[in-house]
Amino acid sequence: MIEIILSYLNQDIVIQKIVLIGSMSLLLIGLFGLLTQRHIIKVFMSVAIMESSLFLFFIGSTFNKNFTAPILGDGHVDFIHMNDPIPHAMILTAIVIGMAVLALGISFAIEYFKLTSITDIDRMNEMKN
Amino acid sequence: MNLKRKLALSDISGFALASVLVLTIFNVILQNSLLTQNSAGNALLALSSHEGVANAVTTVVVYFRGFDTLGEIAVLFIASLGIGLILENPHAKQGKKEESNFMLKTAAKLLFPIILLFGIYIMVYGHLSPGGGFQGGVIIASGVLLLLISSNNFHMPHKLIAILETFAGISYVFIGLIGLLLLDTFLGNFLPHDISQMGMLFSGGIIPIIYIIVGIKVGSEMSFIVQNLLQRGEHD
Repeated sequence: MIEIILSYLNQDIVIQKIVLIGSMSLLLIGLFGLLTQRHIIKVFMSVAIMESSLFLFFIGSTFNKNFTAPILGDGHVDFIHMNDPIPHAMILTAIVIGMAVLALGISFAIEYFKLTSITDIDRMNEMKN
Repeated sequence: MNLKRKLALSDISGFALASVLVLTIFNVILQNSLLTQNSAGNALLALSSHEGVANAVTTVVVYFRGFDTLGEIAVLFIASLGIGLILENPHAKQGKKEESNFMLKTAAKLLFPIILLFGIYIMVYGHLSPGGGFQGGVIIASGVLLLLISSNNFHMPHKLIAILETFAGISYVFIGLIGLLLLDTFLGNFLPHDISQMGMLFSGGIIPIIYIIVGIKVGSEMSFIVQNLLQRGEHD
């Protein structure tokens, strides 16, 4: 019985669907946090969770169990039967940019808190009128 | 009253967004096709073997998308510049107010050289194994973070970091311009990159050099960001 389940789960298409469902539920968790939390650091954390769900989705969507990582060595002498290197390179870029933007946003929040002692985004209304 | 209306609005918009997402996910799940490898990835993999670099991701990041990586480093530089502009306080004291405990101080002294060595290894072997400049730079910055949280009187060498960062940024553009002069493409691979040398430490022409430069720049910028975020204000 357990072998049937494992052989079903070991198909490429099933693995890709699992990655899709997992990453999209992580995206929904981040979206829920973004809409319900009022603390600004928690809002930034929700954005970071949504970002990481997209990273997972991009890397997992090109998963193929017969292919290896796109690196030569360990007996591989040619660039055949290897995973697509483009999502890896793109996600490398996206991680660095996301980290930089998150750090910049948190520094704004720190400076705002130092000036006004407010962390609630509903009370940040100096520019309203 | 006002708050209640805003909450209801966010609930409705969140529900709409979530339902759109769920419908899209069901649509993708129900169609029974595999997301296969695209032809662009195969073409890049076939082209990668001409550059003599064992790690195809490094070839894509540093060589085929090298100009893009230059822009990415510029974004990182602008972000660290903004953080420095907002949080930089020359009168603030470094480190924490209270003394760190003995275990943290000893472990930081023991671990910092190893973390530094590991980061440099990841940087230098980026064209042969998983890793590269971005990862190695972030590892070095984590070592600097360990030093910052462990010691009360650790001063960041700002001059050295500024010199390293400037040197790295200028030499990236300079190497690209040499490629433009010699081979008519920005970041052309003008150093010898023999395919028979693939897998050796000295292989791939300019690609490992550029990744080391990226590592130096990312490491110095990340250390600067970490130091600024840890800085103590006057009133706390």
